[in-house]
Amino acid sequence: MDRSIIHLNIADFAVAVETNLQPALKGYPLIIAPKGAPRAVVYDMSDEAFQQGIRKGMPLARARRLNKKINILPPSFNRYERVMKDLLKQTFAFTPLIESGRSDGHIFMDVTGSRRLFGPSVNVAFKLKKAFKKTFNLDPIWSVASNKLIAKVATRVVKPVGEYIVAPGDEKAFLAPLPIHLIPGLLKTDLTRLCEFNLFLVSQARSLTLDQLKIAFHHRAPLIYDRIRGVDPTPVTALCETQSTLQADHAFSDDTNNAALLKKALYLMIEKICSTLRNRNLHSGATKIILSYSDGLQSASKLKLVPSTSNDMTLFKKCLPLLDKAWTRRVRIRHMRLICETLSLPQMQTELFVRNTKETKQADLTQAMDKIRTKFGKNSIKTGLTLMGENNYQ
Amino acid sequence: MTKNPSTACNLFIGTSGYSYGEWIDSGFYPDGTHSSNMLDVYMQIFQTTELNYTWYQMPKAPAIDRLCTKTPKNFKFAAKLTRTLTHEIKKGQWQKEALLYRQGIDPLIQSQKLLCILIQLPPYFERSVNFRNYLAALLDELSGLPLAVEFRHDSWVNDKVFSELERRKVTLVSVDEPDLPDLFPRLDVVTNPDLFYIRFHGRNARGWRSGNMQKQFDYDYADWELKEWANTLQTTIMPEAQAGGIFFNNHVRGQAPKNALRLIDLLIKEGGRQTPWTAQSFI
Repeated sequence: MDRSIIHLNIADFAVAVETNLQPALKGYPLIIAPKGAPRAVVYDMSDEAFQQGIRKGMPLARARRLNKKINILPPSFNRYERVMKDLLKQTFAFTPLIESGRSDGHIFMDVTGSRRLFGPSVNVAFKLKKAFKKTFNLDPIWSVASNKLIAKVATRVVKPVGEYIVAPGDEKAFLAPLPIHLIPGLLKTDLTRLCEFNLFLVSQARSLTLDQLKIAFHHRAPLIYDRIRGVDPTPVTALCETQSTLQADHAFSDDTNNAALLKKALYLMIEKICSTLRNRNLHSGATKIILSYSDGLQSASKLKLVPSTSNDMTLFKKCLPLLDKAWTRRVRIRHMRLICETLSLPQMQTELFVRNTKETKQADLTQAMDKIRTKFGKNSIKTGLTLMGENNYQ
Repeated sequence: MTKNPSTACNLFIGTSGYSYGEWIDSGFYPDGTHSSNMLDVYMQIFQTTELNYTWYQMPKAPAIDRLCTKTPKNFKFAAKLTRTLTHEIKKGQWQKEALLYRQGIDPLIQSQKLLCILIQLPPYFERSVNFRNYLAALLDELSGLPLAVEFRHDSWVNDKVFSELERRKVTLVSVDEPDLPDLFPRLDVVTNPDLFYIRFHGRNARGWRSGNMQKQFDYDYADWELKEWANTLQTTIMPEAQAGGIFFNNHVRGQAPKNALRLIDLLIKEGGRQTPWTAQSFI
């Protein structure tokens, strides 16, 4: 069956959210970037700033040289995520198959199965656009196509405002005249290589056969071959599939690169998540740490947990090297996020004869601490690591 | 203003849009029909369709050109006017939009496949001074194109309106829709001897203002209702115009093509006349 994919894209999402709060900034060049941080880079910018040559990831100092009077606002990631969650609530009314970033203003919806309920996909997209505008004063670009790739290219074509409906069967003709850099999924190296061959348009690149592409692009050739023909079989990953996660955040009052403070914050987050896991009788099968630096950049590191766990100390032990791995820069850290994924029921073989191992002792200790906290409050008992904060490290 | 009585009225009967997945389940399209092949099947049965997507999006000449190439010579399209010219009018900008629209549908004109431009106005478009002035300016801006105006507010039921449309040779769209307060009533007024235009929206009064298209246009016309229309068409409307476009918008569960085919059947059998296509084999 043909698919109906809607892509909603709120251009310059962070700027759109901020200017909603400060409407006086609308229509002027605006940069979202951490102001005071050394070596800060542009996180997002308004269309007016883009017209002046400012780009995402550009050093803030360079952006300032382009426009000395430009308005600069610090990023507030939590706010963007909150708005994103509110937007998703509206889209859930039409389909459970929704894929989105955490705070990038992009939403993919597969409405193939809900056509009988809500009518043609074009109408659903239009209704959502109106709802976003009315409720949040956010005006998304929207497109309707038969797969995610085409839908994404379509919104790129009309950015910053508008809509694009690519009729089924029209995919190849739609892509043909477009510049090749509009095709998502192609790496910078792929684009450079294609330019070296004087292939700038999709139609030009299509003149190469798969075998010819293999000579230049090796294992990436099949992907490039499909992409320039608008072939993208990847499904819209339902949000419920990615939602089997728990996360905790810690924003540092002052940007820091103090290792002890980071460890303390990490342990507090682990305590919080593991407590929820134990309450729900779940284990986590994977964990991820995301560090947001004061210049707006982020770095992340991920680890599979074998066996899965919900024990504070075990998880902390596993997360310490993960923190080191994620912490790749000397820039101060503003925010840390811990995500526990692949949540599942504990599947452990019960021992016939209970042995007192280190793990069982730790589990008993955690259980005892849980009981104390339930009875006397969250702060009634703490580990030494979380106590040492203010006195020793500030 | 009437047409020459000696000439026959060419009828173009079809549906509002053709790309509906649920028409496979209802049996109109064979199992496994891909969306990209729906027009191929559709044009074997009907010789006209309304282009709905041009209301949501400004038509783009290359895409329209591909549609023209795909369809046979005698196939006709009625293209809806874009919403920025009917529902979301921006003062000072709409003239530019009208120009873009003209450019977008140009392949239809060049290939002589344009039945008319359908100007579907919103329910709040009342007969006020501002809206009257806008409509007049819009018709001027689009002059030279075959135009049909669909009102959704009953304040436009006025002889002055009809005579002005007649003077401009603009078609007044007759609508079959529920009998609800403020809605434009069912009329058989022909204002343009070149073309009459009828839209069958269905008479689902409960679903009409539900905000859900699947409820609004969920209606299956009874045989007596279609017979009544066949009679009106033959006695009152068809003698007044050289051509006519009749479109069924009750797309839910494939009712639109089913009702359209039934109306063709009635017109052939009861009128003893020939339609410009061979519909008999599909009934």
